[in-house]
Amino acid sequence: MAKKETKKEKKTSAGGLRVIGGLLLKKMARGGAGLLRSNADEVNKLNVFPVPDGDTGDNMRLTIESGISAIENLDSDDLAEVMKTLSHGMLLGARGNSGVILSQFFAGIYKGLKTSHTADPETFAHALERGVEQAYASVMTPTEGTILTVAREAVEFAVSRLTSESTIRSLFADLVGEMHASLERTPEILTVLKDAGVVDSGGAGLFYIMDGFNRVLNGEEIPQKETSREAVASTVSVPDFSAFDADSEMTYGYCTELLVRLQNSKTDVKSFDVEALKAYLSEIGDSVVAFVTDGIVKLHVHTLIPEKVLKHCHKFGEFLTVKIENMSLQHTETQREEMTAGQPAVEEKKRYGAVAVCNGAGIEGMFLEAGADRVIHGGQTHNPSAGEFLEAFGEISAETIFVFPNNGNILMAAQQAAELYENARVLVIPSKNFGAGYVALSMLDWSCEDADANLAAMENAMKGAIAGFVSPSIRDAELNGVHIENGDTIGILEKEIVISEKERSVAFLGLAERMLALPEKFMLTVYCGADADAAERESLEASLRERHPNAELYFVDGGQEIYPYILIAE
Amino acid sequence: MNPYVICTDSGCDLAPALLEEWGVPFCSLTFRFDGEDREYFNNDMDGKTFYDRMRKGGIAKTAAVNSQAFIQCFEKQLKEGKDLLYLGFSSGLSTTFNSARLAAEVLRESYPNRRILVVDTLAASAGQGLLVYLALQKQKEGASAEENAAYVEEMKWRLCHWFTVDDLVYLKRGGRISSASAMIGNMLAIKPVLHMDNEGHLVNVSKVRGRRNALSAIADQYGKLALEPRNGTVFISHADCLEEAELVGSMLRERYGAEVMLYTGVGPVIGAHSGPGTFALFFLGKER
Repeated sequence: MAKKETKKEKKTSAGGLRVIGGLLLKKMARGGAGLLRSNADEVNKLNVFPVPDGDTGDNMRLTIESGISAIENLDSDDLAEVMKTLSHGMLLGARGNSGVILSQFFAGIYKGLKTSHTADPETFAHALERGVEQAYASVMTPTEGTILTVAREAVEFAVSRLTSESTIRSLFADLVGEMHASLERTPEILTVLKDAGVVDSGGAGLFYIMDGFNRVLNGEEIPQKETSREAVASTVSVPDFSAFDADSEMTYGYCTELLVRLQNSKTDVKSFDVEALKAYLSEIGDSVVAFVTDGIVKLHVHTLIPEKVLKHCHKFGEFLTVKIENMSLQHTETQREEMTAGQPAVEEKKRYGAVAVCNGAGIEGMFLEAGADRVIHGGQTHNPSAGEFLEAFGEISAETIFVFPNNGNILMAAQQAAELYENARVLVIPSKNFGAGYVALSMLDWSCEDADANLAAMENAMKGAIAGFVSPSIRDAELNGVHIENGDTIGILEKEIVISEKERSVAFLGLAERMLALPEKFMLTVYCGADADAAERESLEASLRERHPNAELYFVDGGQEIYPYILIAE
Repeated sequence: MNPYVICTDSGCDLAPALLEEWGVPFCSLTFRFDGEDREYFNNDMDGKTFYDRMRKGGIAKTAAVNSQAFIQCFEKQLKEGKDLLYLGFSSGLSTTFNSARLAAEVLRESYPNRRILVVDTLAASAGQGLLVYLALQKQKEGASAEENAAYVEEMKWRLCHWFTVDDLVYLKRGGRISSASAMIGNMLAIKPVLHMDNEGHLVNVSKVRGRRNALSAIADQYGKLALEPRNGTVFISHADCLEEAELVGSMLRERYGAEVMLYTGVGPVIGAHSGPGTFALFFLGKER
C-alpha cells in the first residue's frame, strides 16, 4: 500500500484554504482520478479469490473518470455546481458495486453542498457525512470491512478533529490519514480478506482517490496520462475499409446522424416543425428518425447525399455532433440498428423488454434466442456502467423492462440505472451469474400481464439454480481448508472454493459430482468456455453421463472468458 | 335388436393384440418411413427403431384412414350381424373421424335398419383408448349402443390429457400445435406441459425447467383434477421412455394412492408428430 503520511507544506494561497470553491474541487478531482488511474492495476489485484478477474480498480477509475469528463469543460468556481456535475457524471458512469457506492458517496456529498458556492472545512466535513450516509443507504445489507467502513471511519475521524483552526488541507490530511489506517484494518473485520492476505479493494480505490485530492491540495502534480492498456481498450474498433475501394459503387449510402442545436437567430426554436424536417429527409433518404428535445434536434437518415442534410439543417441551427458513415462498411450496421431502435416511442410499446448482461458469443446468442432485446457485453471483468444500461433501456420500447445481470457486482449499477430511467418500469432480477439469469429469463411468461407475478416466478425459478465455476488459479493459497497451488484448477461452488486439482478434468468432475449430490438437484447445464477444448468436453460429458445416468445434462457452447466451465445445477 | 360391436382406429395407441383380445375391430392410420407405407409397429419396425431414427432426424409422414377403409371394416361387422359404435380419433387432429362419418352415412343407406353410431371422442392416444375401455365396461353392464354413445359423449368432456414432449419441433412441424403455443421455442432445458382442449386441439399450458419437473407438474395436475384420485382409471402412453412413465406412475401412487392401469407405447402415427420422449397421462377429471 502506498504512502500514508502526507506532507503538510507550501504554496497555494495559505489563507484561501479556509474555503474550497469549484475550481479547486475540479483540480482535486482530476488529481484523485489520476492517482487511482496509476494504481488501478494494484487495486485490481486485491482479489479475494486467486482468480484473474479482479476489476475493482478499473471500475472505480471508470466511474470517477465519467465524473471528470462531465466537469472537463466546466469553468465554474461554484462549488455546488461543480460537485453536482461531477457526481451526476459519476452516477451515470458507475460500474461495479464499488463504483456505485463511490458514485453514491459523491452524490451524498453534493446534497450536503447543494447551497454552497464555497465551503469551509466544517461545511465540507458535514457534506462528507452526508456522503457516507448515502453510500450506506445504497447497499441493501451494508458489509463492514469494505469501502463503506473506510469512508465512514475516515469521515468520523475528520469530523472529530474539526476545530476553528481547521483548514481544507487539515481536513483532507485527517481524512486521508485515517482512511489509510482504516483500510489496513479491513482484514481484521472481514476474514475473507485476511485469509486471502489482502485489504479491501473498494476501500483501497477510495483511498487513492482521496489521497489524490489531498496531494493536489498540497501542490503535487498528478500525472493525467491514460494507462496504455486502457488506451487500447477504449479505442473504437476501426471498420474494414477494404469493403469500399476505388472501384466500389455507392449503393447503400451514408448513415447520417446529427445533433443540431436550434438557434434563435435562425429559426423559431420553440415552434420548430420537426415534421417538415422529416418530410424533407424522406425525400432525400430513408430510415428517417428525427425528434427534438430541449431545443436539440437528433436526426438519423440513410442517404446518398449527406451534404444536403448538412446544408438543410444548417439553415436552422448549429451542429453539436455530426456522424456520416459509409454503410458499405460493415460496422455501421450495428450503429444503425442502435439509432433506429433509439427512436422515441411512436410505435406501440410492447409489454415486456429484456436486457441481459453476458459475455461469450454462445451465451449472447442463447439470451437473444430466449427473447432478450439487448445484451450488454460484460461480466466479472467488465462491469457495465449505469449509463450503458440506460442506453440499452432507451433502445427498447416496452412497458416493463427486465434486467438480467450476470454478476453480483453488476446488480447495483443496474439498479441505479433502473432508478434513473423514466420511460419504462425497470425490474432488475437479482441474478448473480448468467446461468441464473438465463434460468429466470427462460421462465418469463411474455403473455402474462402481471409483471410482478412474472418477477416472482422468475426469482423463484432462479432460487433453485446454483452455480459452479471452474477456473485456473493464479497463486498459492489456503482457502476454506482447500490447499491451492499456483496453476491448479479450482472449483468454486457459489462463493466457496471447494476443490483444487492439478488436472482440470478432475476438478470439473469433482465439482459436478458435488453439485449433483446436493438435495433436489438433478439437472446440470454446463457452459463450455472459450478455453475448453472439444475433446476434453466430450470426455467429460461421457464420464458424467456414465456416472449419473438419471441426471439431465446439457452441455452448451458458452464461449465465456476466464472460466473454462461454468456449471448450473437445478 | 342386433348386438353391437365397439370399434375404433389406431389413434387410440392400444396395441393391435390388446384390441383383438378386447374384441375391438379397428382401422389403421398409416405412416411412411423410407418410402414404405406401414400401419403399426411390428418386428420390421418396432418402436425403439422408429424413435431412434427420429432422434437422428428421420421424418415420418402419416395419413388418415379413408372412407373406403372404414366402409370395408364396418361392412364386415354389419354382414356378421353386428351393429356398430365407432369411437374415433379427435377431429381436431386428423380427418380420420370425418372419413368414418362419411362411411357411416354411405352404409346407412345400404343398411337402413341397423345402428351405425359414430362418436368424435376429441381425444387421442391412450385417452381415446381409455374411452374405448370405459365403453367396453359399460357394454358389459348391459348398456345399449345408444346409451353407450351418450355415455362416451358425456365422459369425453371429462377426459384429461396431460402430456409433455421432449422437443416441440415435432408438433410444430406437423402443424399439430399453433405457432403461438409453440412460442416457448427451443430454450435450453425448458419443457412444455400441454393438454388437449375441448376442441380436441393440443394446447401449451405452461413451461417448466427440466424434464423431471415437467413430469412432476403433470402428476400435480392429476391431484388437482382427478375425479377419484384413488380409484380412477389411469392410462399412460409414452414414446420410448417407459422408465420415466413408471416414474410418474410411482409419483401418482405416492402422492395420491393411484394405480396406473395401463402403460402403452405411443404408436407411429401419433409419435411421428409428437416425437420421441412424448409422455402422456390420461384420466377422468372434473373437466378437461
